[in-house]
Amino acid sequence: MKRIIKITGSFLAIMMIFSQCSDDLLETTSYAQVTSQGFWRNGDDVVSAVNAIYEPLLQENYFGHYERTWDIQSDDMWRAGDHGEDQSIEFFTYDASNPKLIDTWKWRYEMISRANAVLINAPNVNMDAATKDRSLGEAYFLRGFSYWRHYLIHGEVPIFVEADILGGKLNKPKATKAEVEAQIESDFLKALDLLPASYQSDPDNLGRASKGTVYGFLTKFYVTTGQLQKGIDAGKHITENALYALAPNFNDNFLIATENNPEILFSMQYLRNWTMDNTPEIYTTPRPWGGWDFREPIQDLVDEFETGDPRLGYTVFKVGDMVDLGGDAGLTEYTADLSTSGYHFRKFSSWTDGGLNSDQNAPILRSSDVYLLVAEAKVRLSQNGDAELNAVRKRNGLADISGATMKEIIHERRVELAGENERQQDLLRWDKAGIIDIVSLYNKSRGPLKPARTFNRPKHYYFPIPQREIDLSNGVLEQNTFYK
Amino acid sequence: MNFIYSILTERMLSKRVVPLYVVLSMLMSFAGETSHAASIADVVEITVKGNVKDETGAAIPGANVLIKGTTNGTVTDSNGNYVIEVPSNESILVFSFIGYVTQEIPVNGSTVINVNLLQDAKLLEDVVIVGYGTQEKKDVTGAISTVKGSAIENLPVSSAQLSLQGRAAGVNIIRNGGAPGSGGEIRIRGIGTVNNASPLIIIDGVPAGGLSDVNPNDIESMEILKDASASAIYGTRAANGVVIVTTKRGKLGQGVRVNVNAYGGVSNRIKSIDVLDAKNLAMLKAERYTNDGLAVDPIWLDPQYQTQKTDWQKEVLGQGSTKNLDLSISGGGEKSTFSISGGKYDEQGLIRNSFFKRYSMRINSDHQISKKIKIGQSLQITSQSGTTPNTSSSQDGLIWSAIRFHPGLPVKNSDGTYSTNQISSQFGDINNPIFTIDTQDRQSTRTRILGSVNGDWEILPGLHAKANVAVDANFADSHEFNIQVLDQIRTSTQNSRSVSSSKAHSLLQEYFLSYNKKFGNHDVGIVAGYSQQTFDYADMGATKRNLDSEDPAQRYLNANGGTITNAFEGRSYDAFQSYFGRGTYSLSNKYMATVTFRADASSRFGPNNRWGYFPAFSLGWRVSEEPFFQPLTKAISNLKITGGYGELGNSNIPSLQYLSLMGGGARYSFGGNPVNGVSQTLIGNPNIAWERAVMTNIGLEAGLLQNQILITMAYFNKQTRDMLLSPPSLGSLGNAAVPFQNVGQMENKGFELEVSYRKTMGDFSYSLGGNATYIVNKVTELYNGAFLGSQLYGRSSSEISRTYVGQSVASFYGWKTNGLYQTQADIDGDTNIADDPRNLNGQIKPGDVKFLDLNGDHIIDDKDRTIIGNPTPKITYGFNAAAAYKNFDLGMFFLGAAKVDIYNADRMQGLDPTYPFNMYAETLNRWHGAGTSNSIPRMTTARDNLNHRTSDMFVESGAFFRLKNLTLGYSLSQNVIKSLHISRARFYVTGQNIFVITKYKGMDPELGIVDGNRQINVDYAQYPQSRTWTVGAQLSF
Repeated sequence: MKRIIKITGSFLAIMMIFSQCSDDLLETTSYAQVTSQGFWRNGDDVVSAVNAIYEPLLQENYFGHYERTWDIQSDDMWRAGDHGEDQSIEFFTYDASNPKLIDTWKWRYEMISRANAVLINAPNVNMDAATKDRSLGEAYFLRGFSYWRHYLIHGEVPIFVEADILGGKLNKPKATKAEVEAQIESDFLKALDLLPASYQSDPDNLGRASKGTVYGFLTKFYVTTGQLQKGIDAGKHITENALYALAPNFNDNFLIATENNPEILFSMQYLRNWTMDNTPEIYTTPRPWGGWDFREPIQDLVDEFETGDPRLGYTVFKVGDMVDLGGDAGLTEYTADLSTSGYHFRKFSSWTDGGLNSDQNAPILRSSDVYLLVAEAKVRLSQNGDAELNAVRKRNGLADISGATMKEIIHERRVELAGENERQQDLLRWDKAGIIDIVSLYNKSRGPLKPARTFNRPKHYYFPIPQREIDLSNGVLEQNTFYK
Repeated sequence: MNFIYSILTERMLSKRVVPLYVVLSMLMSFAGETSHAASIADVVEITVKGNVKDETGAAIPGANVLIKGTTNGTVTDSNGNYVIEVPSNESILVFSFIGYVTQEIPVNGSTVINVNLLQDAKLLEDVVIVGYGTQEKKDVTGAISTVKGSAIENLPVSSAQLSLQGRAAGVNIIRNGGAPGSGGEIRIRGIGTVNNASPLIIIDGVPAGGLSDVNPNDIESMEILKDASASAIYGTRAANGVVIVTTKRGKLGQGVRVNVNAYGGVSNRIKSIDVLDAKNLAMLKAERYTNDGLAVDPIWLDPQYQTQKTDWQKEVLGQGSTKNLDLSISGGGEKSTFSISGGKYDEQGLIRNSFFKRYSMRINSDHQISKKIKIGQSLQITSQSGTTPNTSSSQDGLIWSAIRFHPGLPVKNSDGTYSTNQISSQFGDINNPIFTIDTQDRQSTRTRILGSVNGDWEILPGLHAKANVAVDANFADSHEFNIQVLDQIRTSTQNSRSVSSSKAHSLLQEYFLSYNKKFGNHDVGIVAGYSQQTFDYADMGATKRNLDSEDPAQRYLNANGGTITNAFEGRSYDAFQSYFGRGTYSLSNKYMATVTFRADASSRFGPNNRWGYFPAFSLGWRVSEEPFFQPLTKAISNLKITGGYGELGNSNIPSLQYLSLMGGGARYSFGGNPVNGVSQTLIGNPNIAWERAVMTNIGLEAGLLQNQILITMAYFNKQTRDMLLSPPSLGSLGNAAVPFQNVGQMENKGFELEVSYRKTMGDFSYSLGGNATYIVNKVTELYNGAFLGSQLYGRSSSEISRTYVGQSVASFYGWKTNGLYQTQADIDGDTNIADDPRNLNGQIKPGDVKFLDLNGDHIIDDKDRTIIGNPTPKITYGFNAAAAYKNFDLGMFFLGAAKVDIYNADRMQGLDPTYPFNMYAETLNRWHGAGTSNSIPRMTTARDNLNHRTSDMFVESGAFFRLKNLTLGYSLSQNVIKSLHISRARFYVTGQNIFVITKYKGMDPELGIVDGNRQINVDYAQYPQSRTWTVGAQLSF
């Protein structure tokens, strides 16, 4: 027995020598990845983290396409394409499990989560003060922007800010509409203090949020929430500042060469061979021309343009247009078989040798939108909004209007901003304010592609919270009133 | 020996495998030397000779003839003859051969001893490989199934795991389509977890995985460890069971044997989906518009697209082929044995440009280097390459596309260009499938070297110190070139080149002691040891877009032009460290007990949760050994009852889940300048720990009629606890990956039965065997009581599978239906939709599907969904029958599944007229007026009623019964081949997937997993299995 023990002992000893020391053996390293504790070392880390907040804007399942799908409810376009869930959105028969709801919901919160990470960590980083201010300003703005989009689509959503993250409060009930509004306003105002006025003299940073971006969204926020005078006050910072001047030509906003002109307050910045698929471009382009043929404009929109309005030609492709598809294709005629309605939006596409040019940016907010919002607020407050309205008309060579009413402003917004994801929200805003009757507007047939639809007021002002969120929240999250 | 050399030289040099030949000759001469040396040392006294035959009188070449009590012996020659010198008349000769009952015959002065060996029906005497040792089958108290290599040899499949299907109770293989080289997933006793539920695979003692690297013809046996007691010696890695693969080795004193296997054959598609021809397609498409009151799109009235031109499925699914050639040489002298094999497997799929090739080589040898020390080694070198087209996508999968591409278009136009849907977006965004096949340029290759050396030092009689050291190295690379596509509807504006490569190294060290001793009636065995295994992995790759030239010679990153748009390099490391022990005890061969324990640490878990402890025990009682049972032994020759209980672990999750990680790659740009964004990519879970499986097993083993009938039955209950899953998280957390957490529970309960029977009557012998498994899989707990979702199907983003507590994993989830509305009165009177806004708007029309309102709000919406099907088979079974008459042998193997559902998503899409694709021919039977159909909805372009949403209309029974293999063989008579110096020559024909009986409407009822274990048995028009016929030859020298 003794011998066995001895032998066993020496065997175990040999074994130990051959095998590694146990502590080393199980030690792992996160190669090529930084842990969140090891991050936030310097200004470069902070700027990288801020860059990442912008990135979801380019996602197909967010602003690239899904977030733009809500506009198919409007009278400007029909859905086209082949996404099964789109018809129910267009016809107001969607339910809470519509796939477009959950994806956009998640991406908005992803932006919020990335912004919160910056707001929590950047203040403690030792870095250049101006860059730190700008970075915090961008984080506040982008968080506010995400809640703004939440607010437009769902009305009431849970709010997560720094304290919730630090306190591990990640399953919260919905905030009220007033609380969401307060959060948006607070984020925008903080951003306003921290951001530079513009990047026109800092071209490497063109496309970052500036004071102009924030004033633009503040204007929209105030006008939407009925705070019209505040809207005018915020909007003046755009209309009265040459830093945000209208581009000389309407079309400059949709050309790659001039896509970062002063009028562009905020846009999706695509770069060929670097950023992800340029989905605003791909989705709106005819199939044989390299796109996927969604969101076709309908005759009703085309008819809205005044005779001689040059914007029509820059807004839609119509039969007979000659379009340079680049490369071997060259100048190509737009023919009737390319589309069901006879039209495609052209604001988002351009071509290079052999295909779509994915350098094309897609605007999210332009100064002309703010001009028209200021005009609207003034008219609604019984002031004169002609100056702002006519500034937009003049750029397009159209005659001035004097004593403009909401009718002219509604017309101008429709043709100026067609396809830019504004029409449905405009109509909702005007219906809520009693300016139009959206129910009867939608109850009118606009041809076989756009038959009469039933809008249920107020149910269809907002979409339901994605069913998946209700299910996962264990009773914490309550469904919107009209979707229970 | 010279003869073999000459054969080798001829055959091998002609095959131009000179290096292999050199290695072979060296090893062979080594084995030859030792056996020669041994024979000189013997003292020559009496010469005995004779022959060894089987029951039928056929010679048994290669049978062992040994002088009892010594290691001296010889083997029979190709005619079954032997000559041996024995030291005295008291010597006893031991005659043995695998599969036959060993006989001992005293010499007693005889100089001629002829022996007839009887086939060994008593499989009980078999030795079963268990972890870190072997046990006699009669002593085993755990649940272990054995599949012999001979049962699966020469089947025309790429991987041994495919041929495991239906061979053992409790073992199910989930096929992932029929693409060349696709391996399928092994599930032992159900789906144990929602994450990786594949068993641990041990190849010759090395936890290695990757069964597809092993040439099936190299396999001696596969043991499947199914319960906790059998598996617990592998602790943390064994929760999903263990498959121990043992490859062929030489045997002491067997001489040299050469085996050549060659087969080849063709495969063809089994079934196509019946789709509309061009004329009917145009008619039904036009009907959609008419029904909707819209003008018919002119393209559907254009006669040039109403002439049938192409059967796309026929074009895409052509003829494939399978070729295999392997050669093995094994031998054994007095002290050394070796086995060397080399093989080539080449499978061309039904789809052109899809293939799988494997070159494999194996060298195994064992050496008694001193009286007490043995050394053995195994070396496996495999190189495989292959490519498969995309057949899993419901957006642009190749077969999905073939079903839907316009049948009125030719493969190529008269000018030689490919036909295209750019003609009209009415034809759908599908590229010409043949264009896709012809332009595909991608391939992946992998080379693997798996080598191990083991030593065994017998310290004292019964006490062995053993060591096992292994290296497993994998080198993989893949490359792909996507051409610029401008003339098809799905364009790619830039060409692109992607390459990637990876290296994986694993090192294993194991040291253990084993002790076996008999003390009177007490039989004791102990194994105890230490094991560690490390895994280093590194990969890198890059993508370049817009290269100047698409010339095949210029399809490289270094070629001119273009931009590198992506480049990556990553690295990871993982390790296991373990202590293990097992004690077995048997009293009087009647009462047995096994106790097993393993302690494991894995680097996958945080520093505080690394160690897990896994105990198990089992007991056995051989009732048939009891005196009171003796009167029954005539009928029941063996009866054993076993029971066991234990815990196992699972750590099959990605690394570093306990850390919060930031990742780059959030790309954006400002003013045309690229910038990189960094965001949190993984939320850390510092508390992550093992998943546990708690298993109970009760087994019964019986042999009836002198063990002609063998029956094994088992009941098992496997409870998975602390199940690792990445739970669906609130969207409010954003999109960062949620780490795996120990949050769920799952249950697999079931019953297994294996029965075999064998009988010999003169020249005729036959055997029958069958196995069946009944399993109920149920999720018993999930995160927050919520469900687990899965990927959505197709353009319609249809949700199909959900995993709920109380249901089987990945159950089908959707609406219930009750036929179609025949008249407006049906609609008006239907309470299901009384308050549905779509009904109030007049959007629901006769010919639409009647969905059932389950929650009673008179509205059809997402709240009316429920569980509509179960994708995991409750019953799976296999059945084999073999018969031999004189020189002929016949083998048949059937398998099947019952109590299982399939979600036919391809049909759901294929009947849907709202998409611009071709449709199933069934749509001709659509509703087009009251009473015309109650199952196929009307033609429309509208999606108001979403007639083709996920519903019970598309849930079908997945039950099937399939003749998987049929083999008919003929062996040349001994007297014919004697002159050729061949000991065995057999020729055979094998058919694979000969017929299937099923009600399933799709291409193939054997569908795989689509989204891990979260979506199973959903028909995406996967790469179908084929019917394969091969002819082959087996020669032994």
